[in-house]
Amino acid sequence: MRAFVKALLRGSFSIAILLALRLTVFASVDDAQSFALQAAEPYIKEGFQVREDYWGGDLGSGEKKAVRQQLFKGNEYWFWMGTEVERARISVHIYDSEGKLAEQPDGWEKGHFAAAHIIPKSTGSYFIIVNIEESPEERTHWALVYGFR
Amino acid sequence: MIPFPRYLKLSALLASGLILCAHGAETPQHIDVKQLSKKVEDVVVPLPNEVFGALNKLGSINWKEYVRSDKGSNFTERPRIALLLGTVIADGFIAVQAEDAPAVKEIGQRVQTLARGIGVERSITQHAKAITEAADKRKWENVRQELDRTQNSVQQAMNEVHDEKLSQLVSLGGWLRGTEVLTAVVTKHFSTEGAELLHQPDLLVYFQTRLQAMPEFDLAIIRDIRGALVEVKPLIDVGRAHISSESVKKINDITTRLDNGIVTRE
Repeated sequence: MRAFVKALLRGSFSIAILLALRLTVFASVDDAQSFALQAAEPYIKEGFQVREDYWGGDLGSGEKKAVRQQLFKGNEYWFWMGTEVERARISVHIYDSEGKLAEQPDGWEKGHFAAAHIIPKSTGSYFIIVNIEESPEERTHWALVYGFR
Repeated sequence: MIPFPRYLKLSALLASGLILCAHGAETPQHIDVKQLSKKVEDVVVPLPNEVFGALNKLGSINWKEYVRSDKGSNFTERPRIALLLGTVIADGFIAVQAEDAPAVKEIGQRVQTLARGIGVERSITQHAKAITEAADKRKWENVRQELDRTQNSVQQAMNEVHDEKLSQLVSLGGWLRGTEVLTAVVTKHFSTEGAELLHQPDLLVYFQTRLQAMPEFDLAIIRDIRGALVEVKPLIDVGRAHISSESVKKINDITTRLDNGIVTRE
């Protein structure tokens, strides 16, 4: 009986730790999203509608991730990436469905933020590549939001 | 001679310019898409007003023709409510394009009723209120933002209780209604640029894959949509070729039929 109680307690403790870790991960991606939205803020005044939906996760230093997005010719898009990690260097770039760089040259990277701009030449799927170029953390949370006008 | 603080500012500007150039130079001009595709995240479904905005730039459209604000049928099956909810939110975006405040307000109330039907009303109460207030003040950008927030909050609330499939049906309902209106507009005033906006093969595959993973939703309308997407795929997955006026008309017939199935009781 005592062994059963011990096992139960050990199990509950592990679940509590896992839950706590999970909550930490969500909180950090939310923080990264706050930075991404902060980067987007000046563009709202220029008529960009920023989507509520966003991508997010964590990556190791030097790791990349691709997200696919349907873009429409006639619209103009900005993608803003954010991280809460101090001294991390991040980047975001846009490629067309054939893998050709399709972004405007005015994309930028600064501190917690990175941004890429596209005026699509055709309607279709595009790849948005997010990259943790350098980071002092083992895993770096990131979030990506986008806006269009 | 340049004063020292100004010199510092200029140096900083020059340095940041160099950094930007350096990043530009490092960015590969090509990537291997085949290698990437294994790591690709899911497609994010565009809002109907994303495509409406692009369509608007091709010429003036009488959006009032496409406004629909009738109350429609009530359903008890959650998948049907989810599909209808997505459709009604898309109707909200159409009413905003038409700048029709009474329709926007009615749609706001309808969204709230439908959200109640699937137990996520609390998540959108404040947005529904904001939609009404913004419509009264004719602040259309605010209405658009609140419609996006409404859809996002509904879907988040569904995801939190592991109803991801219902959340996907909300997106699907919105996409179908958006496509119905897009094809109606392009059928009326055909242009290759307008038809090109239908070039969304990855989105179609995304919805097909999601529907395949919903065998538990054994409803006639879901079966109809599954079949219809198979019909639509070759019409929009044309590579570099143009989408013909016949294809646009055909897609309009299909999506109109599906929309009738979504909004009316069988």
